Amino acid sequence: MQVKLMAFSLFLFSFIATVYAEVPVFKLVIKDHLFFPSDFEIPANTKVKLLVHNQDASAEEFESYELNREKVIEGGRKVVIFIGPLPAGDYPFFGEFYPKTAQGVIRVK
Amino acid sequence: MLINSVALILEETLEAALLISMLLAMTGLWLNSKRWLLYSFLLGFASAYLYAATMADISEWFNYVGQEVVNAFLQAMIAVLLMLFAWQVYSGADNVKHKNLMMCCAAAVVFSICREGAEILLYLKGFSASHEAYLAVMIGSGLGFGIGISVGVLLYYGLVNISLSYKLQLYRVLLAIFSGNMLSQACVQLIQADWLPAAQPLWDTSSWIAEHSISGHILYSLIGYEATPSGLQILAYLIGIAAVLMITMLADSRRSSYE
Repeated sequence: MQVKLMAFSLFLFSFIATVYAEVPVFKLVIKDHLFFPSDFEIPANTKVKLLVHNQDASAEEFESYELNREKVIEGGRKVVIFIGPLPAGDYPFFGEFYPKTAQGVIRVK
Repeated sequence: MLINSVALILEETLEAALLISMLLAMTGLWLNSKRWLLYSFLLGFASAYLYAATMADISEWFNYVGQEVVNAFLQAMIAVLLMLFAWQVYSGADNVKHKNLMMCCAAAVVFSICREGAEILLYLKGFSASHEAYLAVMIGSGLGFGIGISVGVLLYYGLVNISLSYKLQLYRVLLAIFSGNMLSQACVQLIQADWLPAAQPLWDTSSWIAEHSISGHILYSLIGYEATPSGLQILAYLIGIAAVLMITMLADSRRSSYE
């Protein structure tokens, strides 16, 4: 009984530990319809949190076919976009509202 | 700028246009008046305006993933409404309750316009400050909107003119695919919000049909094509399809037991 209880609490603990494990945060800024940085690395097979701050007055939409992500960011606001875990490779992204200038790539290594 | 606007507005318009022409064609047997569509347009645009106006704050809900949660809710609701719709149409035959059917269609259209419309409004708002780009964007948007509506009208007449023997089978398949598509998109939103676990894609068909190609865009709007879907997303899609097929089959057997 006691072994079972211990095993269970160990399982529970590891579960909670995974849930609350620190997710690495990467900051991305949108200014003058450009992404800063527009080319950056994230670790492979790891979930990361993109903190996107749109410093323009107009809204932008973060979009990536390769990442299956799409999110509107209102002017002057911040949003969070979770990406990964991903296999190594290059994942382009762009701003759907201003695709001529707002282009970038995430390199997963 | 003009081409971008055409593409963006077209993509946002197509999904709602497909839903509306599908529902209009399928309810033609029961609902003589199409007034419900007018009301759902008005309510849809009002809710889109409200969603766009509060988007900045909604995005900050639930630790900055409010937008995903609201979108997932709207998409999942459309899937559920289509399932209710399928049950009513396939089980009812002569005694379909017009009011319930109308409410079901109207709500689905309102939810669809709310999400897509809000995105269009935020896009257009960004250009209203710069005069030189505004004209090009408005012309492009008008074109995109026009093409989207034309596709919807074509689809409507296509669906209405199919011979009766194929009609029920085809409608069943369309409802199933649309529900699957909505559930899968809702699933993607919740993965993006980290409310559902993320996983690596099950397959990659981007070398056959890239999502950013024209055929990729068309397939995305029609059936929710993704080149690199995750397992959960596929599961959600299959659940949507299976639910509609099961509901309509149950409804069929109920109807035949009455007859």
